[in-house]
Amino acid sequence: MRGFLTTRATVLDWLHTLDQLGDVFFPQPMGESSFRFDKVRKHSLLAFEDFDATSTEKPFRASTCVQPPGKKLSPNNEQIFHFSKNENGEYQLTPTLDDRQRILAGVRPCDLKAIHLMDRINSDGIPDAHYLSRRQNTTIIAHDCLQPCDQHCFCDATGSLRWREGADIFLTPQPEAKLLIEALTERGEQLLADAGFTPCKNIEGRKTLAEAQRTKPFGRQFNAPLQQVIDTVSNSGESPVWDKHVERCFSCGTCNLVCPTCYCFDVQDDFNVDDPDSGQRTRSWDGCMLEAFAVVAGGHNFRPQLAARQRHRIKRKLAWLPARFGDGSFCVGCGRCGHQCTVDIDIFDIANDLLATAETKP
Amino acid sequence: MKPRIAFFDMASCEGCQLAILDCEDVFLHILDLVDIVEFREALSEKAPRFDVAFIEGSINREIDAERLRDIRARCTWLVSLGACACHGNVQARSNALSPAENLQRVYGPEACHVAQTDSQYWPLWAHTRVRAVHEVVKVDYHLRGCPVDRDEFLHLVKRLVAGSLPRFARQPVCVECKHNGNECVFEHGDTCMGQITWGGCDAICINGGYRCDGCRGLLPGVNLDSHRALLRERGLSDTDIDSRYRLFCSADVQPRGTRP
Repeated sequence: MRGFLTTRATVLDWLHTLDQLGDVFFPQPMGESSFRFDKVRKHSLLAFEDFDATSTEKPFRASTCVQPPGKKLSPNNEQIFHFSKNENGEYQLTPTLDDRQRILAGVRPCDLKAIHLMDRINSDGIPDAHYLSRRQNTTIIAHDCLQPCDQHCFCDATGSLRWREGADIFLTPQPEAKLLIEALTERGEQLLADAGFTPCKNIEGRKTLAEAQRTKPFGRQFNAPLQQVIDTVSNSGESPVWDKHVERCFSCGTCNLVCPTCYCFDVQDDFNVDDPDSGQRTRSWDGCMLEAFAVVAGGHNFRPQLAARQRHRIKRKLAWLPARFGDGSFCVGCGRCGHQCTVDIDIFDIANDLLATAETKP
Repeated sequence: MKPRIAFFDMASCEGCQLAILDCEDVFLHILDLVDIVEFREALSEKAPRFDVAFIEGSINREIDAERLRDIRARCTWLVSLGACACHGNVQARSNALSPAENLQRVYGPEACHVAQTDSQYWPLWAHTRVRAVHEVVKVDYHLRGCPVDRDEFLHLVKRLVAGSLPRFARQPVCVECKHNGNECVFEHGDTCMGQITWGGCDAICINGGYRCDGCRGLLPGVNLDSHRALLRERGLSDTDIDSRYRLFCSADVQPRGTRP
């Protein structure tokens, strides 16, 4: 596949031109110090926030978006099907499939790996047609991170820092505000064909240059190799660590709802007020930390204790799904849950605490 | 026959009734589904019986409680409409004061003296506590908020008409705030009641750049100790914290009993 070398400003201008192909999404500043993965509009100010701080008056603080890019593939309150009555008075169901073209740009390696894991999840068993329809019509432009984006980041520890699979185009920061642009798929090749960027002859050399600039160690590191973390979490049934980390928890579900690999949902039917014979089924994001998550018919709750719900969440990320799919950690180390939690409960600390308790055991 | 619905107001600003009249774009469709038989803000007719009664406002006097019991006897479903009906709202702050202190604060020492000595004013003393609707009669559903959320009202009406159970998620405001991808209020140095407050409002205040003040009431079973500790860490004194909790009486006057 081909590679090109050009300036960041040129790439950002090029992103603006891509809206002819479909909606383009890119991280954009929100509030005081946050980012929203939002649609690029004509006057949107775009910047690669963590390595392009010189280009705007207000310095960007490097940070992930509150909601990960992958959520664009399974949006909240998504319509699954709509129903109406035909001439014979029978109800007819029509599935809602979104096949519009969209481009997710400015995706970090952690979120890229998360999208790969969601591809696995949604193709497993009965494929999720709604997710896959969006995914098949989505082009992903990802970029490398040479510095940790956030003090909560631990993507290197979970093995997602060097993730490339799933990206159509991959950008690597270079000195002098330049970018190395690589097409990783046919779709990426086609997109770059008419862009007019200068071809790069020494792709490997450029990559080595970037690697030399990468912060080492990169972000937070577990106190043991990843496989040992996964083994420890898998073997931690009863542990005081689960109770310790829920003392201050509000059970608010924030950690679930900002997680790029949380995909649980709740469905609801509703009829239209202007035509009660028609309506739709929608699904909305749910979270296993919420009290009502495991309530079943008859009112029984399988996990009424907060510590049990916390253990469930951590085991999904670092034990059960890694064992089920063999694709490494389902926690991609983006640090969102720890960052967004108002009482600083962090999956990274829980994993390290479990490691420490496992070591002291006789 | 279409279900008959009626609206009644007790001690309130009637803003929740206005919030319902704000369903302008779909109001004519609602009238295809139900008959509104009593609604002081919009209708002069009265009705002897109805299927659903919406009660707005808190119960401040015994005469209001009697009226409420009479309404309960004439309806099938009774719904608390808005923060006043659900948990007393701002007027229930007087519950934290003795009646004499309250009268003195509002009307001054002289008027307070007259109210205590002149028997004509004694009925004022008959109530000592502002009550939520469910403290007087059985309530089937609560529509929370100051004012109520029109989408929740529409949801309830549609579900009652369809004969299915309405769903009001038992989850804090944070859930909808995260659904909307907002920046957390704590992120920009302010403090928020979102973690301990009943959701269902689509985090409307945070979407608009403000914070949550808890108008929808305290979510049952929340970690209030942790929330107080967090607000202290963010520099609020206990007096400030109590004042925030009491603004809508969300954390101070907890509704009792089971809440649907």
